[in-house]
Amino acid sequence: MTAGPAAQGAAPPSPPPGAAHPDAELLDDIVAGALRWLEAIRPCFRLPPDAATDADPNTTLKPLGELAELAHVMQTLHPLPQVRAAAAELFAFAWKETRGGELFAELVRGEPVATYPVELYGVFARAGLRNPAAEELIAATTSLVRWRVAREDHTRTLGVLNAERRIGLPEHTGFDRVLALTGLGLRPEPWALDLKAAYGLTHDVFHTADWGRSPGRLPAPLADYLRLWLPAWTETWTEERLWDLVGEFLAVTALLPGAPYDPAAWRRLAAARGADGALPERGDPPPGDAPDGERFTACYHSTLVAAFAATLARSRPPQPQSPAQSDRAAPRTTAHGGRPAGSPDPGGAAAEGPGNTLRGPADPRLPLPESEATP
Amino acid sequence: MLAEQAQENSSLSTVVADVANGVALALDGEGGSYALSALLAQDDAVALAAVRVLGADVLAPYALGAPPGGGPDEQVVRKALAAYPPGADASEVSVWSYRGLVEASRAFLPAGGDWPDTPQAGAAWLQTDPWPRLTHRASQLAALALPGLAPALAAGLAARTEDLARGFVRAVRRRDWLQAAGAGRWLARVPDVPQSLGLDAGLVYVRRMSGGDPRVALHAAAARRFHLRGPR
Amino acid sequence: MASELTAPVETAALAAEVEGLLDSAEPEGIYRDTRECGGGLLLAALLLISPPTPRAPKTDAR
Repeated sequence: MTAGPAAQGAAPPSPPPGAAHPDAELLDDIVAGALRWLEAIRPCFRLPPDAATDADPNTTLKPLGELAELAHVMQTLHPLPQVRAAAAELFAFAWKETRGGELFAELVRGEPVATYPVELYGVFARAGLRNPAAEELIAATTSLVRWRVAREDHTRTLGVLNAERRIGLPEHTGFDRVLALTGLGLRPEPWALDLKAAYGLTHDVFHTADWGRSPGRLPAPLADYLRLWLPAWTETWTEERLWDLVGEFLAVTALLPGAPYDPAAWRRLAAARGADGALPERGDPPPGDAPDGERFTACYHSTLVAAFAATLARSRPPQPQSPAQSDRAAPRTTAHGGRPAGSPDPGGAAAEGPGNTLRGPADPRLPLPESEATP
Repeated sequence: MLAEQAQENSSLSTVVADVANGVALALDGEGGSYALSALLAQDDAVALAAVRVLGADVLAPYALGAPPGGGPDEQVVRKALAAYPPGADASEVSVWSYRGLVEASRAFLPAGGDWPDTPQAGAAWLQTDPWPRLTHRASQLAALALPGLAPALAAGLAARTEDLARGFVRAVRRRDWLQAAGAGRWLARVPDVPQSLGLDAGLVYVRRMSGGDPRVALHAAAARRFHLRGPR
Repeated sequence: MASELTAPVETAALAAEVEGLLDSAEPEGIYRDTRECGGGLLLAALLLISPPTPRAPKTDAR
């Protein structure tokens, strides 16, 4: 059932080792803990027999889809071979759960106008895992005028467009035009961001940058906007202890060319984890004796996000801006992050202060194993 | 004793609010001519304490170019400065604020000779505070954003405009309207405040969302009158 | 000015209050989000690998 290029996804070329990340120990601990926990809780990702019919997709297909999407980023971008291997196993597990993609044919047959089967299939198609039956059905449904009717949520439309790119379908509408209408594209007042808009904004970035693989796709004004305000959002949602969103902001920061690395924010995220390496979605970790199902629901999303964010950070070691400022490049442990970013600080007068942050590489390009997903 | 203290507490806060309201009205161009001494119901210890709390802002309307305050205002301010000098263990904010009131008196009250010396106030925090704490402190010192006062403080904050803007975002998200208004008032001074902050709309928003807090209104009114930012 | 007779005691207490108001602690942040779309996630709004996870009140579920 699996088409030829599948092997491409199973054994991606390793990214070059590159410079070591000054905070590698912490970042690697986050990924290792998350992978350990995900491996142990893996049975909870299994799809029930009625996954294509009666089961609640929010608690079945969504977790599996997230596992596949984020595991594949780790498998592709993480510099450590053992991490890539563990992530590859999780990704292969997810594909197996879809019965080599047969699931998508069933889902499309059952819900021909739904976008989520296409979005999910795109995760695997990008990695070269294909299912001809699903693809024939998808070609039939996505070529309808019906498919081009505007959807309520522009962020979601970006996800659909990214899936179309990945599968190699024509884009049903202009990506940039849709992006311009989103909570990122409009660059709303940063203090007016609420929870829902925050999730929308991080996903605007993920869909545009193909989950960190193509950060250069973010238009410069939007990247500037994000660089300016991410520290404030990361800070307030850390205060609120909404760890999945904090992880998403850290992931966006990590993929953004030139955004400063904030060691303090990462430390607070790491400290929110349970002893088992899982990161709760909000607040404290569930009690150790909580049943698997409960721990899964409370932690799977945020734990995946944390591993994803740490992978992006690890794959793009920040570089000191200039030799004159290299003395800043040590992780700091003060309570609050955020350097005085715009501060004119030519002489480094404020260097001892909270300004110690690490700059991302100037080159936005990641070492991509494949130039584009489009076959 | 506790109950007494609580009552005292609320009465000082009430007087602070009343005076702030009078200043805000004057800055808004309402309420006729301004005189600090006319705002104070009586010249007692609580009223003087309120003057010390609001600091330079009690003289803010004079900074608009109105005729300077007269003898009674000068009396009130002198008494407030004498009654509540920053002690040996006073916070840096307290020292700065005291200093601001002295500087404002020199600038906006009729030349009356000997005002107290301006004490040295710590300024290292302008460079070392992480942006959330920097913003909180700057906001506590928003009265010193009046034109011409404490140039070193203004320059130090102007060098951290983006940090202050992030602090404004954080304060609004926390619904800390007073902090947001104070930070917004400093930001209103600088020409390079990030466009995407939406400062003008933010000052309007904060003022309305605060539900009529006079101290918030005072900061918003000052941002508008002195720097043409915020509510029009 | 009758009030000046009681000044020493009163002023000492007030001085502390003045200090407290000048260098006031930051109030606890108040975070509140819209109730819009808070509870019932329609299937149409099912967000796969997309914005909000279904965040039912699961933290207190037990």
